[in-house]
Amino acid sequence: MAYEEVKVKTPLALWILPILSVTLFFGVWQAIVDFGIVPETMLATPLEVIKLFIVKLTDPNPDGALLWRHAWTSIQEAFTGYILSLAVGIPLGLLMGWFVVAEGLARPFFEIIRPIPPIAWIPLTIFWFGIGISGKVFIIWLGGLVPCVINSFVGVRMTNPTLIQMARTYGATDWQIFTRICIPSALPMVFGALQIALAYCWTNLVAAELLAADTGLGYLITMGRRLAMPSMVVLGMIMVGLTGAVIGVIIDWVEKHLLAGIRR
Amino acid sequence: MTSVANEIHIRARERAPFSVMIILKSRWFLYAVSLTAFFLIWDYVAVSRILGSAMARPYEVAVQLNTMMTDPLAGKSLFGHIWASTQRILIGFAIGAALATPLGLLMALNRHISAVVKPLFDLIKPMPPIAWISIAILWFGIGEPSKVFIIVIGTFVPCLLNSYNGVRLIDPQLYDVVRMLGGNRGDEILHVCFPAAFPAIFAGLQISLSSAWSCVLAAELVSARSGLGFITLLGMTLSRPALILGGMVVIAVVAWVTTLLVTGLEKILCPWKRGVIDI
Repeated sequence: MAYEEVKVKTPLALWILPILSVTLFFGVWQAIVDFGIVPETMLATPLEVIKLFIVKLTDPNPDGALLWRHAWTSIQEAFTGYILSLAVGIPLGLLMGWFVVAEGLARPFFEIIRPIPPIAWIPLTIFWFGIGISGKVFIIWLGGLVPCVINSFVGVRMTNPTLIQMARTYGATDWQIFTRICIPSALPMVFGALQIALAYCWTNLVAAELLAADTGLGYLITMGRRLAMPSMVVLGMIMVGLTGAVIGVIIDWVEKHLLAGIRR
Repeated sequence: MTSVANEIHIRARERAPFSVMIILKSRWFLYAVSLTAFFLIWDYVAVSRILGSAMARPYEVAVQLNTMMTDPLAGKSLFGHIWASTQRILIGFAIGAALATPLGLLMALNRHISAVVKPLFDLIKPMPPIAWISIAILWFGIGEPSKVFIIVIGTFVPCLLNSYNGVRLIDPQLYDVVRMLGGNRGDEILHVCFPAAFPAIFAGLQISLSSAWSCVLAAELVSARSGLGFITLLGMTLSRPALILGGMVVIAVVAWVTTLLVTGLEKILCPWKRGVIDI
């Protein structure tokens, strides 16, 4: 062995500090409500939130649906919009990156739509689609579309020009260069878009549900506010964060397995 | 006397023969075609009432915008509303960036601070800022502070992430160089960390700004008496599509101008940033 592995021990303090800070956080949270520093109408204690979580697993009152149904509705909407945005955005971005005609025709459309935050579309979509699932899917689709197009476009544009010139020297057609060289070399950027688009979709989902919905996690938060139940608001927020994090981990896992052979 | 060395290089660019195809394939022509198509489709959708009465023609939107410039809407002219939204963003953005950037730097430079703050940050990070709207209204009521609070949250996360990662992802060789030149920890931070992390921090500010835009719109859609989100919401409650679309056009223009300003600022402030393809 030319070298031996050196094990660096993490100092004890770095183990304890994170645990301490999280415990302290929840402790202070519980205490400020218990001792009445923050009134109970404004914040619920962590214990109350956990209690409500258990109750909501079996009891549809007072907002009309069980917790898992809210989560399931949200996931369904988010995924429909997400998949659609991938299906449209990635091919569009790739084509825009390589074909002048595609870029010339699609870019002005894209540049007009890009600066408008998807949230600004909400009033218009409520007009167009009502408050059903299609309107929310549209908002989520818009949110996911922009990062997909940008990343795949940049991915194709960053293709090593030497490779393209070499392919031309050997007589490859435009289409062959696009499919054999540009797309594979853009793949890491495209997969980067998967995570970004997911985060955008999830944010926009919450926004869409805050304004118009009858089930879903965003709706749970809104109902918590209307019923003046801070515990429900906090539960909704935690569920949104948790579900988003879990989906993120799953996408990450899928990505790693799909990309096992591709150099990043 | 002739030699290879005297060979004359003809550097004239070969000009392709003039043809219709070249015009058809030129970028600007295609842009023009695309823009015309955009407005024609928009107009057609509005006139043929595919989407019911919920669509205004481009012309109507232009008229609406013109009226908004002069006639006040809900007590404020168009510029008043733009300023109301901008003001909220500026306040929230300033607070969020002023809190998050130094914290991110400290976290990256000191692992004890990182050990304390990181787990708490990881708890907050996955929650979209918009999910905080309800709790902000419970805490601060429906006035200005709740909107500013949402923007602070929306700004905080990307700012902190970028300044933290910006310092952590610095090429370690740069530190070696400073140390070899006899620099101490202070020199490392001053001459390596800050300049090398600056592009990342600036990128974080840009992301925060667009996130702040989304947040302010969401907050204004939920409850407000002024601002651009309020205009679009008013259009919805009054069933006036021209007003909604006019609001969206203004939002697009203002967001576009902001992006342009920030990009220009970046070019001035950190010219050493390596060029990445723009879109």
